[in-house]
Amino acid sequence: MAATLVVSSRGWGRLQQILAAGQGASASCSVLWRRGYSSQQEQVSHNEDLPIQMENPYKDPPKRCVLCGINVDYKNVQLLSQFVSPYTGRIYGRHITGLCGKKQKEISKAIKRAHVIGFMPVVYKDPTFLNDPKICDIRHPE
Amino acid sequence: MPRYELALILKAMQRPEMAAALKRTIEALMERGAVVRDLENLGERSLPYKISKHNQDHRRGGYFLVDFDGPPTIVSTMMDHLGRDVDVIRPTFLKHPVSKTEECGGIIPVNYEDKLYTKKK
Repeated sequence: MAATLVVSSRGWGRLQQILAAGQGASASCSVLWRRGYSSQQEQVSHNEDLPIQMENPYKDPPKRCVLCGINVDYKNVQLLSQFVSPYTGRIYGRHITGLCGKKQKEISKAIKRAHVIGFMPVVYKDPTFLNDPKICDIRHPE
Repeated sequence: MPRYELALILKAMQRPEMAAALKRTIEALMERGAVVRDLENLGERSLPYKISKHNQDHRRGGYFLVDFDGPPTIVSTMMDHLGRDVDVIRPTFLKHPVSKTEECGGIIPVNYEDKLYTKKK
């Protein structure tokens, strides 16, 4: 036990040398195994073992909002009505719809346009669209 | 010539009268140098709210969509003309919508700290 504790970094190399010499191993092997050998000796490139720098291959694709890739039109009253309150007809905010900035703006503009042109009701949601699937994360108070 | 879209709401009438009103409108457009591409009928439906026009209250109307190319000067003259037509409830000229659905790369996370706080030099 005491012998193993005594073996320091320098001592370990020495021990290897002694063992190698005893077993008849080549001198070059023991030289390489020695920790802290001087840089004047032959340089072996360590770079083969290091990890290759690359972009994270397990990265998730960027999150897409519900309308990513869907064309927003003022004529499409059913789509626009899904982002409007059924009670007051008010347009839901970004924190409720969960849309990205561009699409939220497009929807908002399209809804206001549809109001003016006379395609969509202003103060309520068209009753035919009341049972549409819910996209918005709105929670009405009980 | 830029491409326009006329969202036209006509009074709810019988078919021959509706046809006559549409014919009048499109002839007026062509007189002013427009090339009409397409005329779509979006059906007769009840209006989203009561519209009062020409001393009458309308609750039902026929929705039409006229796709045409015309000079930009046509818009003001046509609005004038359609304002005087008794059968037209609400005319609206719009630029033809360009449907662009490509390159939606998803929501890129923004570093709010860098965006909102100015760093001291």
